Amino acid sequence: MPPTMPLLRSIARIPSRQTPLPVLDFLAPRTIAIPHRQISPPSSSLSSRHHSTASTTTNSTNNTNPNSTPSPAPKYPSMRSPLTPEQSSFLDSALRVNQAGELAAVLIYASQTPPLIRAHPNLRPLMKHMYDQEAGHFQYFNALIAKHRVRPTAMYPVWHAAASVLGWGTAVMGREAAMACTEAVETEIGSHYNEQVRVLLDWAEKMEGRGEEVSAEFKGMVGELRRIRDEELEHLDHAVENDAKGARPYELLTNVIRGGCRTAIWITERV
Amino acid sequence: MAPIRLSKSVFGTLRVKPNHTLPIRQRCLYHSYEHDQPPPFPEAESSILSAAMRHVPDHGFTNAALKFGARDAGYLDVSTNLLPRGVFDLINYHLVTQRLALKDSVQFPTEGQVEGKAMGVGAKVRALTLARLRANGPIIHRWQEALAIMAQPTYAPASVAELARLADEIWFLAADTSVDSSWYTKRASLSALYAASDVFMTQDTSKDFIETEQFFDARLKDVSRMGSFMGAVGEWVGYTGHSAVNVLRSKGVRI
Ligand SMILES: [Fe+2]
Ligand SMILES: [Fe+2]
Repeated sequence: MPPTMPLLRSIARIPSRQTPLPVLDFLAPRTIAIPHRQISPPSSSLSSRHHSTASTTTNSTNNTNPNSTPSPAPKYPSMRSPLTPEQSSFLDSALRVNQAGELAAVLIYASQTPPLIRAHPNLRPLMKHMYDQEAGHFQYFNALIAKHRVRPTAMYPVWHAAASVLGWGTAVMGREAAMACTEAVETEIGSHYNEQVRVLLDWAEKMEGRGEEVSAEFKGMVGELRRIRDEELEHLDHAVENDAKGARPYELLTNVIRGGCRTAIWITERV
Repeated sequence: MAPIRLSKSVFGTLRVKPNHTLPIRQRCLYHSYEHDQPPPFPEAESSILSAAMRHVPDHGFTNAALKFGARDAGYLDVSTNLLPRGVFDLINYHLVTQRLALKDSVQFPTEGQVEGKAMGVGAKVRALTLARLRANGPIIHRWQEALAIMAQPTYAPASVAELARLADEIWFLAADTSVDSSWYTKRASLSALYAASDVFMTQDTSKDFIETEQFFDARLKDVSRMGSFMGAVGEWVGYTGHSAVNVLRSKGVRI
């Protein structure tokens, strides 16, 4: 086993496992109830757009009492200082990359599945499980970028084709190659999500330092990013359990795929 | 002595937020709901330009309008020199403020309130676009000269960028949530449609710009016909590819 993997793991898990900072208490992925419906497509009612966002937020904290009617939240609940241009451009690129990455993941699994389960019918539940999780991630980021007006990547059709070819190509090479593909992709994606979590935590800390309450928008995003990151790392585990390391030529295959992922991320951040 | 101090203070207020940061703040980036949105224009600039807009019907998009605007807002005539793009800044102010006004000027009934079918995205896009066109009504006799300035090579990129922001605003307000390649085709076709109607409107003498509305509807029909054609092509390619794969699989090819 190459040394990069356990290393990545330890980096990956530091923020969640060893967090002495008080700011981070909201970050344990599954302890806070992030309503999955929180990210709703822009409401068709223009006048109530801000209001509806506000009341969803309020409800998510109040939902212990099912009878509580939506409290008359102020129209603009405690507005915070504007995001800096660097912050909004970071979020812009990061969310665009996330959406493109999840699009690719969905397509990789979708095109891997038929050739793979024909040869190995026992893999059907695993492939379905991973596909379903990726479809959930893709849906989450689709809704998120529509809500926050982030432009999708202009390379959409290109990534669409590339991911389908990659999935199909590795699957016909055999089970080990398909799993090596998953391992390589998840390694890149996992570290990409970690980087985003780290940056958002850093901002949250600074906001608290200024005496501002961290926005529900950010809290929700960090929680979801960590959940998704954990699921990606779970896929990585499954891939290794299914002999990803047995792929031939392992080094070449994983290096090419990881290089391709990094290039795709670089391009998507920009266009 | 006083005038010099005044001009200095104007200089100061305009310098605090230098104008070249504007394009960055106005670029469509991550849109937050819980963080303040910075105002589109610094205060001094905003007061001069909004006052100048009131002189546009009489004086057009000219330095004269800017000068009168500065006077109305309590600044020296010379303070208009501090607007780096001069008259184009006035045109840009009109474009930006009218774009941002759309979200309040066009209200759609909420889904629960209305009986029958809720308004579709297409109908909303049409309503928003027509509302934006109509907002040029009061200055339409001055709009051709503005278009000529916007088309100058120095300002054309900024004008096109602002047009793209308008198209983005309209699709957003119409609650369109598509985030695939159609994101681009939708914005591009709406931009083209808007630009054509905008030019048409400068020559429209009909009552209530009814001819512009008809022109817009006819172009909209063209675009949607083309759009469904393109969509059909995409579907056909996908379908054919899919069935080709299935046929090969049924023949025992292991793909
Ligand atoms: Fe994923
Ligand atoms: Fe994954």
